[in-house]
Amino acid sequence: MSSRTETSPSFAGAVLVPGMPQLLAERPAPAWAGLADGARAAGERLRGAGAETLVVISTQWFTVLGHQVQVDERLTGTRVDENWYDFDYGTMHYDLHTDVALAEQWATEIESAGLEARRTRYEHFPVDTGVILANRLLDPQGGLSIAQVSCNLYAGVEDIATLGRAVVRAAESVGRRVGLVAVTGLSSALTQRWIEPEEDRVEEPTYEEWDRRILGLLADGDVDQVLQLREQYAREAQADSQLRALAFLQGSGQLVGAADVLEYAALWGTGGAVVHWPG
Amino acid sequence: MSNVFRVPVGDRTWQRRGQSAHSPDAQGDAPRLPGIVAGVLAPHPPHLLYAENPPQNEPRSEGGWEVLRWAYEDLRQRIRAMDVDVIVLHAPHWITMVGHHVNCVPNPRGFSVEPIFPHLLRYEYAFHTDVELAEAIADQAHDDGLVTRKMRNDGVRVDYATITALHLLNPDWDIPVVSLSANNNPYFYSTSSLDQMHVLGESTRKAIESLGRRALVAGSNSLSHLHWDREQGLPEDMTYEHAYNHHQYRWDMRFLELIRQGRTRELRDLIPEHIDETESETKAGSLTWMLSALGWPEGIGEVLAYGTVIGTGNAVCLWDLEKGAR
Ligand SMILES: [Fe+2]
Repeated sequence: MSSRTETSPSFAGAVLVPGMPQLLAERPAPAWAGLADGARAAGERLRGAGAETLVVISTQWFTVLGHQVQVDERLTGTRVDENWYDFDYGTMHYDLHTDVALAEQWATEIESAGLEARRTRYEHFPVDTGVILANRLLDPQGGLSIAQVSCNLYAGVEDIATLGRAVVRAAESVGRRVGLVAVTGLSSALTQRWIEPEEDRVEEPTYEEWDRRILGLLADGDVDQVLQLREQYAREAQADSQLRALAFLQGSGQLVGAADVLEYAALWGTGGAVVHWPG
Repeated sequence: MSNVFRVPVGDRTWQRRGQSAHSPDAQGDAPRLPGIVAGVLAPHPPHLLYAENPPQNEPRSEGGWEVLRWAYEDLRQRIRAMDVDVIVLHAPHWITMVGHHVNCVPNPRGFSVEPIFPHLLRYEYAFHTDVELAEAIADQAHDDGLVTRKMRNDGVRVDYATITALHLLNPDWDIPVVSLSANNNPYFYSTSSLDQMHVLGESTRKAIESLGRRALVAGSNSLSHLHWDREQGLPEDMTYEHAYNHHQYRWDMRFLELIRQGRTRELRDLIPEHIDETESETKAGSLTWMLSALGWPEGIGEVLAYGTVIGTGNAVCLWDLEKGAR
């Protein structure tokens, strides 16, 4: 277990939230509503700690070559999810303001660390469901700006960790206080049929055991142990994108204390959790 | 928990078309029979579309990956000669988490920016769906025990694999289309079952035959799928383009030899092994779906080209059920 040490003055906390749009359902399952409430509470904590910008990695913006940093100043549009389009929560309007100064500096820091950082600025770029959802729940008033990096599924996790380290350096450099956000599921045994919200439960009991074990370790402040178990967790419970998004948070060097697990519940059979680390 | 029917392997369904005893004039003057005319393996790296510089795509290139693109050019001529009513495509980047979806939007149109390679593909698409066939495939697949959905929401962006494969097969976009989703995620999940793809292939064939369409079925997968995780400067700089490693290459060649020799039943057995050895994108099931729709035809596979794209193996292949009859 880590003993508490000082975090960066630029660090306002970190959260892990699910990326499934069910959290925005007009008629949510109790489990979905609990996760949404947990995410809103985590957002309040980040804002209460003085976060100015949400720094987001979402497993739903996955890439396979290099790393992309979103530098488009304003991302606005309507996202229709390619799986959930028939449900009320499958259509999401968004209007995101990128912290361009931070994002540009972040890209520079990533390059200084020897990695590639493509600056992405394209009209009609398809912002993913996870980013929109996280932004909506963590910052319902839309008062914060955002910085995003893609989740490279082929890169080693040490590279993903480097992205987290780089953004703290960038925030210090431009004098910004940031909340780090990992948008990721846990186990992913998705229920393979159309269900009613109240039917939702984690599909595989062994997967739920895995999720709870992982969350227990995070609550004990033992992120290192979780990352050591990461590959086994991925094999045995199909952890979302091999839980790379947690490596991003850990790479920041700011997860120095115990995490607060605000919620854990089923999301169409997968495991979803809201976890907060204080700044 | 699965109520999916098991389909027998390549033992009953296919025959060389236009050459039966009842078609004495088969050679060179085939009757225009309904049903599946041919199947193709049509890989979709956006690099290939980018390299073509079509007017619909915003980025400009200096070319690259010519051998694969020439194979597609040849294939287009052969598709023209087939005179099909519809191209039915299964591609792995319309990822649906629950069920097999069929695009039933009559006239999908929009601007598709590719989130993985936005510098290569920003494409203005517009095409026509054979809605009657799309719905029939969804209904048949449902009746055959699969979870399905008819997608009628024209706000869903068409993915880059669907666009790239369809463009390369028919850049004029003048043949109606049915587009199927991939009910799995080759990136997120460690394994995916190919069993449902056999069933979906059978369902597709039944629907095509019940409506009397002449159809080309296209499965869009790369082969070996390990690749670089860092970019080179100019994407089309071919000095960087080669197989990811010898192992991947050897396995792709073993795979393609079976296709060339027409040993489709053996190929079926090799598909899972090839996936294990090379992370082949056939894990997404498009190839299995296509060959199942064809009935696993023996003796007619052709490899038109093989080439690598950022290190992945890609082959353009054809199974022409009317070969020799046109
Ligand atoms: Fe692909």
